Amino acid sequence: MPDLENEIRNMIAEIVEKDPSQVTLDAKFFEELGMDSMMALEIMAGMEKKYKITIPEEKLTKLTTLRETVAVAREYLEKNNA
Amino acid sequence: MLFQDKVAIVTGGSRGIGKALVLMLAQEGANVAFTYAKSVEDAGKLSLEIAKLGRKPLALQMDVADFDKAKELIEKVKEHFGRLDILVNNAGIIRDKALMMMTKDDWREVIDTNLTGTFNVTRNAIVTFLKQKSGAIVNITSVSGVAGMSRQTNYAASKAGIIGFTKSLAKEVAPYNIRVNAVAPGFIETDMISGLKDEYKEELKKKIPLSRLGKVEDVSAAAKFLLSEAANFITGQTIIIDGGLFI
Repeated sequence: MPDLENEIRNMIAEIVEKDPSQVTLDAKFFEELGMDSMMALEIMAGMEKKYKITIPEEKLTKLTTLRETVAVAREYLEKNNA
Repeated sequence: MLFQDKVAIVTGGSRGIGKALVLMLAQEGANVAFTYAKSVEDAGKLSLEIAKLGRKPLALQMDVADFDKAKELIEKVKEHFGRLDILVNNAGIIRDKALMMMTKDDWREVIDTNLTGTFNVTRNAIVTFLKQKSGAIVNITSVSGVAGMSRQTNYAASKAGIIGFTKSLAKEVAPYNIRVNAVAPGFIETDMISGLKDEYKEELKKKIPLSRLGKVEDVSAAAKFLLSEAANFITGQTIIIDGGLFI
């Protein structure tokens, strides 16, 4: 299993143009990190590409913190491996 | 070929302008999925024509006014062809009446199919386009939505709505290399105007500077341009195809 948390943290930091240390597990994407819906989509597309998974569009609204995002990635990685 | 191996969707594709759009895309190398409401026989014939052009057809009977069906459409196309590059929102209906005679249903059905249908299909396709950072959309509106037309308050409102939708979406998705344009046909020889009396058609021709009614190919040619790389720097526009009637 890759180090999902740090990999996704770095990806998010790059998209929102913040230092990775600011992307804490519970920092709210929209309120605290200045993310918009298009950036959230970029994160979803980035994870799909990196981990070769397909995340349903409905999950987009779940991507609100790093903790939630890692959970979504883990869920679909596990589905892939099942 | 302009659209070699691209995958396109045309809603309301079995007849009229939609059929011309489907054939244009197939002739230019695209695999084409099209939807139709009722014309099962026409849809079958058109699928054959696409196959004869060496392209893969996918015909789906559905109502674009149904959001969930629109979602299924996009899923099926991606499952069948593995990608999506072009969307043409063409499905449209008319229920022409003077406003004083127009029922709530006449209004609602036209808005639901023409305007909400455009939203439904585009909404379900847009995430795919955004993710791949490419895509071209053409919405079929009407001069009725630009200039207004008596007995078409419902239709004109739906078509004017599509123009606003086109402009707004063009701005929203331009950073993702997605272009959104519209074409606005005037009087084109299709079933939709077959109800007009011959004398009225003759009168019309006199008013049209180019002295004829439009052909469906006149419309598909403009859509072809807007969907192609040649229109790379054009987005949010509406091209009127009416022989000069509404200049």
